[in-house]
Amino acid sequence: MTDDALTIRGRATAVLNAGRALRTASTAERAQWLAEAAEAVKRHAGQAGPKLSKATGLSVPMVDWAGRTTLDTIREDTLLALARAADAVSEPLSAPIAMLAVVLAGNVFTAPVRGIVVPLLFGVPVLVKASSKELTFPAMLRDALRRSHDNLGAALDVVAFPGGDVERETALVERAEAVSVYGSDETIAAMASRVGPRSIIPHGHGVSVAYCGAEALSDPQRSNTIANLALDICAYDQRGCLSPQLVFVEAVTERSAMDFAVCLAQEGLDPMNRTLPRGPLPASIGAEQGQWRGVAEVEGTLIRGDSYGLAIRSAQAIRWSPGYRNVTIVPVRSIDEAFDAIEPIGASLKCVGADPASISNVRARLDKRRPPRAYACSLGSMQTPAVDAPADGFPIWHELLRA
Amino acid sequence: MSRRSDLKHRIEAMIAHFQSGGEVDPALRDVLIEDLATWQAGRIPEYGRLQRQGHWPAALPTDVFRFRRIAAHAEEDDVRVFLSSGTTSSERSVHAYGDLSLYDLAARAAAQRMLFPDVGQIRLLMLAPHEKEAPDSSLEYMLARFAEWFGAECTWAWRHGALDLDRLTAVLSRAESAGEPIALLGTSFAFVHAEDGLGQRRFKLAPGSRVMQTGGYKGRSREVDSDVLLQAISDRYGIAAPFIINEFGATELSSQLYETTLREAIRGPAGRRRLWVPPWVRATPVDPDTLQPVESDKVGILRIDDTANLDSVCCIQTADLAKRVEDGIVVLGRAPGAIPRGCSLAADQALGAR
Repeated sequence: MTDDALTIRGRATAVLNAGRALRTASTAERAQWLAEAAEAVKRHAGQAGPKLSKATGLSVPMVDWAGRTTLDTIREDTLLALARAADAVSEPLSAPIAMLAVVLAGNVFTAPVRGIVVPLLFGVPVLVKASSKELTFPAMLRDALRRSHDNLGAALDVVAFPGGDVERETALVERAEAVSVYGSDETIAAMASRVGPRSIIPHGHGVSVAYCGAEALSDPQRSNTIANLALDICAYDQRGCLSPQLVFVEAVTERSAMDFAVCLAQEGLDPMNRTLPRGPLPASIGAEQGQWRGVAEVEGTLIRGDSYGLAIRSAQAIRWSPGYRNVTIVPVRSIDEAFDAIEPIGASLKCVGADPASISNVRARLDKRRPPRAYACSLGSMQTPAVDAPADGFPIWHELLRA
Repeated sequence: MSRRSDLKHRIEAMIAHFQSGGEVDPALRDVLIEDLATWQAGRIPEYGRLQRQGHWPAALPTDVFRFRRIAAHAEEDDVRVFLSSGTTSSERSVHAYGDLSLYDLAARAAAQRMLFPDVGQIRLLMLAPHEKEAPDSSLEYMLARFAEWFGAECTWAWRHGALDLDRLTAVLSRAESAGEPIALLGTSFAFVHAEDGLGQRRFKLAPGSRVMQTGGYKGRSREVDSDVLLQAISDRYGIAAPFIINEFGATELSSQLYETTLREAIRGPAGRRRLWVPPWVRATPVDPDTLQPVESDKVGILRIDDTANLDSVCCIQTADLAKRVEDGIVVLGRAPGAIPRGCSLAADQALGAR
């Protein structure tokens, strides 16, 4: 499906006009409709599994898991809590913007959920440019919203066209008051040049890391730590910016880090590959993986599994992996050492997953960073952010409300 | 006799046997690869750290040449150090040689077989810098040796860091008038720049003329589809497509692979365009997870076991995607995220700076 500029303009106008009706409903009504739509998508997601698997390159069980866990976060109570939180900090008399345009990326197919649901909750109609690689899920969401309530359904539409087409990108953004862009720095820069005076909400590429304190590595917490960490690594085949690239482990010796890595492999990643198998490895990623794993083995230690690679190496010699379940375990003596190591990541750091005993410490350190972009979350939930989780250092409703 | 001398003697004997028209037994080559890998693992700590996968020795990723010195000899014994081109990474691949005799032997034997199977000497025109201008480039080193071994006369159409179009035109015009064949050797990028610079000028070079191009575009400048470039070169110089071949080489390797069409056009029988693998080399597409050979014509990442790499590492894991075609290999390109490198880039940088 490819839409021309005329079609895009027509849909933008229709969506913009539908905003008025959407805003006549109360926040509670919108929350109810959205929650019903999320439930409906969840019910039908199973049938779309093979199609989504083919489009995304994720295995069918992974697609099922991703859809279910993401949609589980869209409930009436969580949406109302989000609305209350926004209300509490927004300026008096602030109102929703007239329309939001959203440009999606293709690496994490459930990204549209928060990107679409949250503006609609606040009464902002949305025109979405779907990734050319993945149209199925945004279309499912749109259809479910239409079935849920006419006013809600009319306030969202989806278009698709090749990126870089100036005329169509202009048509996408010209009626919008703000433009939310998921993708590479190049994509964001290209869109920024089209938006003119409108606000741009960039969601650029980034990386995330995990931190496991000493307590999390020893009994009785260890098995829980391993299960949660394995899920964070395997979710979406480590393709998203919330996937941990590095796992800092507070280890007394390198040997204890190695022991932990062996357990993570045997008790976490091997079983996970049976329940949530990795999708097929693209050839180009395979070539990068070959280099990354080999270098890891030369410069440190590598644990090689059927569908994963664990490099154990010092914080001084970190090399980014191509994802697809290739992770670096970095032994550190303290949380300070871990934060020293991630300092160069700067604003590209998105999230730090941490064990229960370390999370408050991690959060405090992240809050001190300027600008405070990354947020802390519990291990096991890095890839399933709550609906109210911040995005790139801002509240999720950033730029959706104006005084 | 030292272990190194023994290994060197066996490599030399294998290549010499091939040069004299003998068949090289792949089983003997494989034993030699094993012995080389064992010796090298004991002398090069980085290689010694790699764990064997399956029944072949471990292969060292090319990226390691960017971070570490990979040599079985001491630095003070270096006679030549080749560097890969590349600007996206501050770290370029480094391949240090304490002895170039195996490199020379392998380069000469392969070129004689695939690039000059019908001639002892021929006019040469290099679309590349002279080795004095680029002493750390393995391509420029090889071309300089070709000039010595195969050049009836040789011209470098590259001076002061730029393609010399006047010189290129003059040499080609002379060859055209004389009706004598000429071989044009250079990077793909240099041929693209010649295309851009020569305008409407066309040549009808004598039968037996040929082109060897090497390297990709590294995402640095105008890219031309390989089939389009082949046709453009054919049209520009009046050379039939089979006489235009690619050479596949790398800083980390001492041997080169050549496309088959030139030799097959001369000696027959003609097959599909593919890379010929010298019999002292083993080139294998492998699965990126298991590092084991992929089945039949499936795409894998290219592993090259080059016995001429005596003083570094014989078993090399490249980041190139490849598949088997008939008895050869077709390289499908480098992984998009892998570090771009290669001989073409140095040429492009120079041209861009002009």
